Amino acid sequence: MNGIVDYTRPSSLAEALEQKAANPGAAWLAGGTGILAGDSRPRPAALIDVGRLLPRAIRMADGELLMGAGASFQDIADCDLVPASLREAALTMVNRNTRNRATIGGNLGANKSCASLIPLLLVLDAKLIVEGGKKTRLGAAEWLADRSGLVLEAAIASDPGRRSSYLRWARSSCDLSVLTVAVSCIVTSAGLSSLRIAMGGLASHARRFGELEALFEGMALPPREAIEAASAPLFNPIDDLRASAAFKRLRAATLLADAMHAAAGSALAASSPAATPGVRQ
Amino acid sequence: MKVSFKLNGRSVKWDCEANESLRDALRRKGITSVRNGCDGEGSCGLCAVILDGRPVNSCQILALQAEGCELATVEQQSRERKLSIVQRALVDASCVQCGYCTPAVALAVQDLLERSKDPSEEEIRDALSGTLCRCTGYEQFYAAVRIASKRLTDPGYADPAGPEFRKDLRHVGKDREKVDAAALALGEKAFVEDRVEAGACHLAMLRSPHAHAWIKSIDTAEAEAMSGVVEVLTYLNCPGAVYTTAGQGFPEPSPYDQRMFSKKLRHVGDRVAAVLAESPEEAAAALKAIKVEYEVLKPVLSIAQAKAAGAPVVHSGAVSYVVGEAPAGTSVEGDGRDDPIIYQFPLHADPHHNLAASVADGIGDIEKGFAEADVVIERKYKGNRVQCTPMEPHVVYAKIDSGRLVIHASTQVPWHLRRIVATAVGISENKVRVIKERVGGGFGAKQDIVLEDVVGYLAWKTGRSVFWRYSREEEFVASRTRHVMEVTVKLGAKRDGTLTAILMRLDADTGPYGQHCLTVPMNAISKSLPLLLCDNARFEVKSYYTNLSPAGAYQGYGAPKGSFALQTALAELAAELGLDQIDMIEKNRVRSGARIEILKSLGEGRPGAAVTLGECGLGEMLDRGMKAFAWRGPRPESSDRDWRLGRGAVIIQQGSGLPGLDSANAELRLLRDGTVLMLSGGADLGTGLDTLTSKAAAEILGLEMGDVAVISGDTDITPFDKGAYASSGTFFSGNAAVRAAEDLRDKIIATAALILGEDPADLKIAHRGMVKGKKGEISLARLAHMSTQGEGHGELVGFGNFKTEHAAFPYGAHFVQVAVNTRTGEVRLDRYHAYQDCGTPINPALAIGQIYGGVLKAIGHSLYEEMLYDDNGRCINANFLDYKIPTINEIPKDFHVELVPVADEVGPFGGKSVSEIALNGAAPAISIAIHDAVGAWLREWPFTSERVLRAMGKL
Ligand SMILES: Cc1cc2nc3c(=O)[nH]c(=O)nc-3n(C[C@H](O)[C@H](O)[C@H](O)COP(=O)(O)OP(=O)(O)OC[C@H]3O[C@@H](n4cnc5c(N)ncnc54)[C@H](O)[C@@H]3O)c2cc1C
Ligand code: FES
Ligand code: FES
Repeated sequence: MNGIVDYTRPSSLAEALEQKAANPGAAWLAGGTGILAGDSRPRPAALIDVGRLLPRAIRMADGELLMGAGASFQDIADCDLVPASLREAALTMVNRNTRNRATIGGNLGANKSCASLIPLLLVLDAKLIVEGGKKTRLGAAEWLADRSGLVLEAAIASDPGRRSSYLRWARSSCDLSVLTVAVSCIVTSAGLSSLRIAMGGLASHARRFGELEALFEGMALPPREAIEAASAPLFNPIDDLRASAAFKRLRAATLLADAMHAAAGSALAASSPAATPGVRQ
Repeated sequence: MKVSFKLNGRSVKWDCEANESLRDALRRKGITSVRNGCDGEGSCGLCAVILDGRPVNSCQILALQAEGCELATVEQQSRERKLSIVQRALVDASCVQCGYCTPAVALAVQDLLERSKDPSEEEIRDALSGTLCRCTGYEQFYAAVRIASKRLTDPGYADPAGPEFRKDLRHVGKDREKVDAAALALGEKAFVEDRVEAGACHLAMLRSPHAHAWIKSIDTAEAEAMSGVVEVLTYLNCPGAVYTTAGQGFPEPSPYDQRMFSKKLRHVGDRVAAVLAESPEEAAAALKAIKVEYEVLKPVLSIAQAKAAGAPVVHSGAVSYVVGEAPAGTSVEGDGRDDPIIYQFPLHADPHHNLAASVADGIGDIEKGFAEADVVIERKYKGNRVQCTPMEPHVVYAKIDSGRLVIHASTQVPWHLRRIVATAVGISENKVRVIKERVGGGFGAKQDIVLEDVVGYLAWKTGRSVFWRYSREEEFVASRTRHVMEVTVKLGAKRDGTLTAILMRLDADTGPYGQHCLTVPMNAISKSLPLLLCDNARFEVKSYYTNLSPAGAYQGYGAPKGSFALQTALAELAAELGLDQIDMIEKNRVRSGARIEILKSLGEGRPGAAVTLGECGLGEMLDRGMKAFAWRGPRPESSDRDWRLGRGAVIIQQGSGLPGLDSANAELRLLRDGTVLMLSGGADLGTGLDTLTSKAAAEILGLEMGDVAVISGDTDITPFDKGAYASSGTFFSGNAAVRAAEDLRDKIIATAALILGEDPADLKIAHRGMVKGKKGEISLARLAHMSTQGEGHGELVGFGNFKTEHAAFPYGAHFVQVAVNTRTGEVRLDRYHAYQDCGTPINPALAIGQIYGGVLKAIGHSLYEEMLYDDNGRCINANFLDYKIPTINEIPKDFHVELVPVADEVGPFGGKSVSEIALNGAAPAISIAIHDAVGAWLREWPFTSERVLRAMGKL
């Protein structure tokens, strides 16, 4: 492995934060599946191993679901307290060996365009508990804007009645996601309310799509074709080796339509393409 | 820094650098079961360990992070080399082919069974989701887990036996343990990388960043002066010989167009300079200190560009012919700058116009045939470049021992390797010993001498031991790939479907060098055209040089692309005529007793001849497939409005070695205790060839499998064999073993007759290890003892040589059912049935495993795999994150292999080849099924969602 010359394993969070303050160029090391991936990829010269210091428990407290930043994707998938959509999202990291190491904190810290958990954390309005950053409790979107400090926990407030869904598109089961979409909403007799949509793969980071939310807020759940037609023009993906921009635009629109129907609990959602063996779309 | 942890129950304290991965530390400390298949990307899972109770990839963990942890590797599963329940189940279910992935699979299954005693299929998939295996097709892993799960409560549990054949024989046709499976499951030393000794030097290669360029200047002085650097090699100080890297029989049908290093660079990744240094780090550092100035040329990046008038010329050296003349009108004069090109004999080439080889021939009158047709269609099909991706990349370790060059190789062709390295280094063959180690997957890529020439030369020159292992990226860009082929098929037929004419025009992209440039594309014709009986047939094959990654052999050897084009075209014609596609096949297919005239023009390396086929099992295979798929019943319908179902069926064939060209030899020695030693020239790549040669000896000499030990592929010890290619293992190497055993049997009988004073005709070999006569009997042990005493007649050794003029064709019928999502273009494989005739299945479960593995590779090629290039000819997906090979999740829900044997009169115990043919069915069958589902023809593989939507006109 390249690069690393200084590896430290502080014995307390306080010591970890001190080390980081003393060497701001040093990077946190949690599961290592991002920062240590690829034998010949460049690595930070200094790593502060917080893998065993970060809280790992997933628990309910004061009406909130609290997930330790050190909880692995497998911990999330295995925990009944976690909303089904988030557990499903964790399982879209199909590779079990990686799921056993990769953490929520690392998913946020890396902030990749196709991160599996971030879109759901955004649409479930997760708050992050952070040490050494600008604030100690802030929204996930706000933290992602500059990613300063060490995330300790992610909190999701109970929001009875809110439904959520997550879908992704990848070329094969173990592929990194090319497109992701998370939707949450409250379905009332009047239609979709408090609709939140976050998508990845369409820009350098996953983000909320306010323009789409506004488009469909308050409406009865539109047919999938209508969602596709309305949303596709709003997507501006780029061509890359995984697919052309034109395909991604079309595919993002179908994903969104399926995810909205899944979240709204429509019977139509059963026709989401999740039928591919092992590929949870 | 020090790190202390528990490894397999014992405390260890190691010194590790901050940047050392846990995988590298474990290997450094001799834990060979922890392997590396993806250079730390996290995709392959071969470096798996169990850390504090969870399976994880040790490449993405620093050794120092293991402080205070409990770590288990597969070594923990077994005591005193006895297989654990899981390892035993993997062996029993025939899951160990090359075995490179087996320790990782064993750990994943161990973890699964600890979590779930009786796991569901979904849990099994999930447990193995992070482990790549390129050999097995994963299907038999389900059986292994089931067996292991049952044995947890019932240690004596045995799965019901699979299909058995040849009731008259003891071992042949029955499942026996693969002879190398146990050692591989235990993770013992077996592969080249396990042989490297302390003090070995490491090689690193500076590679061309340009697809096409001259080296204007190269300065290695600084690199040479760096610490640890032993030697730097470039075109300025390497031997001058040109050769082909193709491990084919001599004289090769591939041009000699490659020097060890050249001034001209012909693809991104071409060799610029090699550094030999005392450590990998020092080698890598020295590479950076080499200064090169390039004169960049316009590259040739497609077949169309290679053909174009005024195209850049990939090879501009002088062209000469050892035998024969240059074709009229071609230029042979070199530019005085580029390396020469030597053809062993003419291949209708014109290298200065990028034409590496060509051939055209046929039977009947094609124009007349089209004139007689009621319907004529012409379609063009394209198969893109795919990579063999053996889990163990190319690797070699060479050293000098007693004045000779000893090469530990991961190769399919030990004897061709010896010849080519001796030529490249400039020494005689008796100075070179090649030891084929266990091979972690070859699939054709290891039929070429890709790194042994330079390693052999540097070991010979410096006297140092030299180790070189390709990175995964190098494996993609500087190993061998399947040729891109563009095949135009024109078919004419009567209304009832009878073909009146077939024309196949095939253009292939051989890449920068001409290894296999004629034979691979030619095989696309010769393993597809003879499936259809048509009086008027013609083919035209052209193979072009380009500046893309080198092409070469890949399981199926061109046949999958020919099969894709011809079988799909036949189905397109059926659709045009309103016929059922199987009726169309039935109308035209080869059948028992048919005279195959086209073989006249398809001679491989010599004139061809028409053949009258004996029995052909295709009818039975088609019947079984049609029954399983209820072909004549109502079409299956999807209950989901987004998905449409479709079915496809194809017939396929292959050969069994190269009759009249190749030969194999084996020797069998009777040892003092009545056991035997098989010395087989054959190169077992994980295919089970060593098991087959053992079986031949055990069967013929009335022994148990454990009474036979095999040594194979060692050029000093075992006799010559052509190598493992062209589906020749069973037929050639197997037959050589049969003959060696028969020869030894005859000698045993003759000697026993003398000792017992009986007529040899009255003596028989009896189980176990006895010779029985009318009056007396003698054991093989006693016979061996007596033969080697002062009064004996000398050690009893049998020798077998096999060569033949007989062509044995295995046939197959593959059936597929797909679901296609009409909104997203996604293709889901619901069912895949492979009915195949491999003659007598010598070891049925291993044969079935070979077929599963072959089919899944072809599914990967059909649906996901494609090497992609940017505008400068650089491959942009040379890794497993971007280039997706199938995992256990990609296997069809109903994946079924059935053997339909038609014994061959010449094959060993009636056996024929089995694995290569399995790759010929998926692409056409899936393409036909997609059309059946959504009415769109997919004529370019892979059939990505995007291509499906485009074909459907939705994009
Ligand atoms: C084979 C493979 C498959 C993958 N598949 C997926 C997938 O399907 N979906 C997906 O989203 N990702 C995937 N990834 C990418 C990546 O592993 C994950 O995003 C993962 O969540 C990273 O977590 P980690 O704990 O391993 O992070 P690390 O590698 O330890 O760290 C990643 C980054 O986050 C920072 N960081 C870590 N913890 C914290 C914290 N608590 N607070 C602040 N910053 C922190 C680090 O400094 C670093 O910059 C995959 C990776 C591999 C190797
Ligand atoms: S080498 Fe570790 S996952 Fe491939
Ligand atoms: S047996 Fe799995 S990679 Fe060869």
